[in-house]
Amino acid sequence: MSSAAALAHGSGASSIAPIFQAEGVVKKFGGINAVNEATMQVADGSITALIGPNGAGKTTFFNVITGFYRADGGTATFEGRRVLGRPPYLIARMGMVRTFQITKALARMSVLDNMLLAAPHQPGESLSGVLLRPGASRRREREVASKAEELLEVFNLTKLTDQYAGTLSGGQRKLLELSRALMAEPRFLLLDEPMAGINPTLGRRLLDHMQRLRSEDGVTFLFIEHDMEVVMNHSDRVVVMAQGTVIADGEPHEIRSDQKVIDAYLGGGSPDDGAESSSAATPRSHGEGGRVTERPR
Amino acid sequence: MEPATLLPLGVSFDAFASLGFWLGVGVIAGTFTIFALGLQLNVGFTGIFNFGQAGFMAIGAYSMAILVTEEGVNFWLSLPIAIAITMVFGLIVGLPSLRLRTDYLAIATLAASEAIRLTTLNARELTNGSQGIFGFDTEFDDLSESIESLLISVGWSDPETLFPLFMIVWIVALLLTFGLWRLQKTPWGRVLRALREDEDAARALGKNAFAYKLQSLVMASALGAIAGFFLALNLKFVVPDEFLPNFTFIGFAILILGGLANYWGVAVGAIIFQTIFEGLRFLELPITEVQVSALRYILLGLVLIGLMAFRPQGLFGKREEMVLGE
Amino acid sequence: MEAGSAAPASDRTAGERIYEFLGRLTDLPFAIRAGAGLVLMTVILALVESGLPGGIETVALIAIVIAGIAALTLTEGRPALVAGVVVIVLFGILLTYHGLLAVSQTGITGLSNGAIYALGAVGLTLVYGILKLVNFAHGDLLTFGAYMALVASVFWGLPLVVGIVFAMAMTALVGIALEKVMWAPMRRRGAGVLQFVLMSIGLAFVIRYAIQYVYGTELRTLGVDNTSTIDFLGVRIGQTQGIVLLVGLLILVGTGLMLRFSILGKRMRALSDDLELAETSGIDTSRVILWTWVLAGSFAGLAGVFAGATTQLQPELGFEFLLPIFAAVVLGGIGDAFGALAGGLLLGVVVEWSTLLVASGYKSAIGFIVLIIVLIIRPQGIFGRARSI
Repeated sequence: MSSAAALAHGSGASSIAPIFQAEGVVKKFGGINAVNEATMQVADGSITALIGPNGAGKTTFFNVITGFYRADGGTATFEGRRVLGRPPYLIARMGMVRTFQITKALARMSVLDNMLLAAPHQPGESLSGVLLRPGASRRREREVASKAEELLEVFNLTKLTDQYAGTLSGGQRKLLELSRALMAEPRFLLLDEPMAGINPTLGRRLLDHMQRLRSEDGVTFLFIEHDMEVVMNHSDRVVVMAQGTVIADGEPHEIRSDQKVIDAYLGGGSPDDGAESSSAATPRSHGEGGRVTERPR
Repeated sequence: MEPATLLPLGVSFDAFASLGFWLGVGVIAGTFTIFALGLQLNVGFTGIFNFGQAGFMAIGAYSMAILVTEEGVNFWLSLPIAIAITMVFGLIVGLPSLRLRTDYLAIATLAASEAIRLTTLNARELTNGSQGIFGFDTEFDDLSESIESLLISVGWSDPETLFPLFMIVWIVALLLTFGLWRLQKTPWGRVLRALREDEDAARALGKNAFAYKLQSLVMASALGAIAGFFLALNLKFVVPDEFLPNFTFIGFAILILGGLANYWGVAVGAIIFQTIFEGLRFLELPITEVQVSALRYILLGLVLIGLMAFRPQGLFGKREEMVLGE
Repeated sequence: MEAGSAAPASDRTAGERIYEFLGRLTDLPFAIRAGAGLVLMTVILALVESGLPGGIETVALIAIVIAGIAALTLTEGRPALVAGVVVIVLFGILLTYHGLLAVSQTGITGLSNGAIYALGAVGLTLVYGILKLVNFAHGDLLTFGAYMALVASVFWGLPLVVGIVFAMAMTALVGIALEKVMWAPMRRRGAGVLQFVLMSIGLAFVIRYAIQYVYGTELRTLGVDNTSTIDFLGVRIGQTQGIVLLVGLLILVGTGLMLRFSILGKRMRALSDDLELAETSGIDTSRVILWTWVLAGSFAGLAGVFAGATTQLQPELGFEFLLPIFAAVVLGGIGDAFGALAGGLLLGVVVEWSTLLVASGYKSAIGFIVLIIVLIIRPQGIFGRARSI
């Protein structure tokens, strides 16, 4: 069963102060509640998986709590500070950084520029900084560049450093987006299907790196994932969404035997069956993103 | 005007025109360079479709002319004030419209530009309507004359009257090009490019997309104002007809010709385009003046269509700049 | 206004704070926002009129505004009704200043102009909706139509009706030809928005100045009777104006109904939603696109003839209609034929009413300001669904 998970934090996340809390979050599209009173919390320093059948509202939930969609109800706090109602860039600056399901590589910028862009506290990003503090800007740039090179090394992207990001393969873009998010110095990282499209070797490396960031830098993770193998073995907490709401929350071994969860995946087998079943069999009742045409704020 | 052969420059243009004429083309090309630098900043580097640049140019030129002739402000002092006024207009146009989708933004900025032009045409107490405003440039003429006497003292016996303006417009154009080129290499410029690629990605990384777009548009409006000064100094008057959207679209032709996301290409594009555009006057064709002017704009249209169809990256742009983005 | 992310997470610059505060205003209840908007409109009108109308009219004005606010509170979620209420309140306010006759007289002229905007807007909105092409050359198709009518009915001496049909046919042909030569190949290459927009601007120059090259810049007329008027309840309606309004309305309502109920209309909507999906589901998309251009072209031609008949022909004729037509399209919601009709009429009336307040030279500027306001408040238009904006 769960090997890497439930280790240091195994005693149940609820006893540790949550870094993130959401309560009764609602997002409506037309008459449909894509997210319907979702309530959950993420323990500080945990690796929490967010699972659920297609159309459960997972990505919409991400979009709401990171400020890309305007919530229609509920509250969410990160490190005790209000999140809902803030624009995405402020939420990111608070240390709550996300990636996207469909990668957003900045195509006509080099891989290195993609990385440097993400680093915070760059005085050269404001016009006054450019004019008044060019030295500080250059110093920060050097600092950040060495960090970028380290991260690119980890994800096997070093030889692509000067390429246009648009020339990368799908898997490479995924890795670039993840390492770019890490450049933003997150304390809470939200990953939307980080493993999709990445070969298993690199996937393993990605998971190892997540573990290391958690133990060394205390980064907390919340990730959407369909591969149950990954979820069961690499997370210490699992939150299950269905029909826009959270139906279960517990350690991996509790989740796999939870009747409600099995019912939610009904027709697709139990969550153990993994990605194929969960993505194929569920009726598309909510159309997560599908019919929804509102653009994120 | 003196034939070019009499000039000690050793360059002979007398086959089809005088040096004075080509200096005139040079002034126009320089003005358009400054004008299109603003478009490059917006379209090429930030990804916002500013179709209202002619309107900003109108605000700049009219503010300067009104300040000098009506308010008695010194010409040199009027320039920074006029730039500031134009930047406030840039802010007013940008605040509501920069949240719009790109195609709507294009329509909104074009509409704003036309609203400005129609106001200059109708607010007669302020702008003298279609009669225009004259006599704002005595201080500049003084400078121009002292440059001429300086030229005479170094041995150019009969300098062209347009030469000082030509010199100044190109010094300013090249300085601005250099400045923007440097600015683009800073982290600030990197954020702009990120916005052009994907606004959501930039926002997810903590960049305040709206503020950067606003800065980009306001800076472009300032460049429009500076171009407006040179346009006014060249014509020696300002009239509403000089600020038709055609001006903006010529700017776009220059922008594409020189290549998107390439500041130095702007000057090259402006020189090439204006040489052809003005040079058409010298074709010996059995047609009327109206037809010649029509022909020039047909050419502009064909240049735009041809570039978009066959070479969207322009003459000097990188191929990736057009291919990867779409 | 520095956007530096150098600041610690909690710190925002003053500019950012102000902008966020303004953004939060949109969270206020609809009734408050709508009421404030109406009051603001009234105050601006009163300022332009330099004061209240005085006497019993002032009482009436205040009553109208209060009734308007009351009506608006009931219209939440129905933007078309909101627009209707605003126009009625505007009508009422102008009535208190200028009396029924002046307001109706300008209103009728506005409806007639609005019919021309609407004819232009239907074609533009269909092309915009189905092909996602923002066609800046659409205005110049109007000019082309007007000059074709000039050629047929003035140069060749054919009856005007024949000239109109000729103009519509020729403009439709141009539309189809351009689709085959320019737009279809560009779509196949997957060109971007900027490429399409600049190409259509280039095309606009070619059409407009080709017309100038051939026919010169002098003003020309179609030789239509522009002096006879009909008296209707004291309002004088120009004969040509009346015909334009009636014919325009008939054609537009007919087309709107046809598009709503015919198979062609259904297919157009399918293409509008998702062109590739429509293609894979077996719809002959090139045929639907062809019909789109036939409609867009012929209506643009007709609008051009009407515009030329009520004013004069010159090469800039259509370009001057372009932005009002865009405004009508945005107002009505992109891709919606009935929306274009309503948007065109609404805009025509509001623009013409503005001549009661300011010099008529500002007319077009008023149209552009309406366009900008609509884009800001409701970019998806009064009939549009919440689309991505």
